[in-house]
Amino acid sequence: MAASETTAQEFTVTRTFNAPRDVVWKAWTERKALEEWWGPKGCAIEVEALDVSAGGTFHYSMGMPDGTKWWGIFHYEEVVKPERIVFVNSFSNEAGEIARAPFSDNWPKQIRNVVTFHDEGGKTRIELRGRPVNVSAEEQAMFESMFGSMQQGFGGTFDQLDDYLATQR
Amino acid sequence: MDRLSSTFSALADPTRRAILARLALGETSVNEIAKPFDMSLPAVSKHLKVLEGAGLISRGRDAQWRPCKLEAAPLQDAANWIEYYRKFWEASFDRLDAYLQRLQAGGDDGDGSKPKKPKTKGKSDGRK
Repeated sequence: MAASETTAQEFTVTRTFNAPRDVVWKAWTERKALEEWWGPKGCAIEVEALDVSAGGTFHYSMGMPDGTKWWGIFHYEEVVKPERIVFVNSFSNEAGEIARAPFSDNWPKQIRNVVTFHDEGGKTRIELRGRPVNVSAEEQAMFESMFGSMQQGFGGTFDQLDDYLATQR
Repeated sequence: MDRLSSTFSALADPTRRAILARLALGETSVNEIAKPFDMSLPAVSKHLKVLEGAGLISRGRDAQWRPCKLEAAPLQDAANWIEYYRKFWEASFDRLDAYLQRLQAGGDDGDGSKPKKPKTKGKSDGRK
C-alpha cells in the first residue's frame, strides 16, 4: 500500500526524556518497564508475551477501571538497538488476533509507528510517528479532505466548518 | 460499508465538502444550497442523499422545505482518532517520564525487582 503511505494522515509526538538513551531503550523493550508506563490511563497492563525483535510481538491486556479487559498487540517490524523501533499497533483478542477497537468502529484497525531514539548528551529525544495501515481509497480521500483542504482553507469555508466542529465539543 | 467508510466516501467529493461547509453556517434549503453550484437541483439532491446516508446531514420532515442541517458527530469521529491517539501517547510519555525519573533517582533499578517493595528497614541506602 505504498500509495496510501504517502498520503494518509500522519501524526507525530516528540518528547525529550531526562535519561540516557540505553535506559530509555530498556524502558521500551523490557516487560517490567512497559507495565509501568505503557497503556491507557488508569488501566493495569499485563504482559502476555514480549519479544522485541523483527517479527516478534508484544501482546498485553489492559485491565480497565470498570473491570473489563481489553487486549492489544504490537507487531514489531524493525528493531535497531538503541535507535529505532517500527511496530504496528492494534487492538486484539486474547488469542492475539487483530480486532476492532472495543470503543469505536471508527478507530483505525492498525497503526504503524516509527519510534526513533535520539541521544542528546545524557538526555534522549523520542520521536514517534504514526499512521494507519492499509488505508482504503475512501479513507485516503478523507484524510486529504479533512487535513489537507481543511487546513489549506478550501476557499476559507472549511475554517468555518472547523469552528463549528469546535463548538460541538 | 462501515460508518467510517461511508463518511470517508461521502467526503471524497469536493462538491459535498463545499455543501457541508455551507451548512456549517446554519441549516438551509436545497435551493439555497444549489445556488453557488453550476448544477441542476436533482444533481444537488443526489449529493445530499449521499451526505444524508453517511449521517453527515439530516433533513427536516416538512415536505415543502426540508431544510438541511449539518450533523457533526460522524465528522468528529472520523477526525478524532488522531487526537485520541496523540493524547494517549502523551499520557504514556508522562508515565514513562515519571518512571525514568524514579530509575534515575535510584529508587528502582529497573532490572526486575518488584516495583512495590515493602519499606526497607534499617540498612537501606537511605533514599525515600
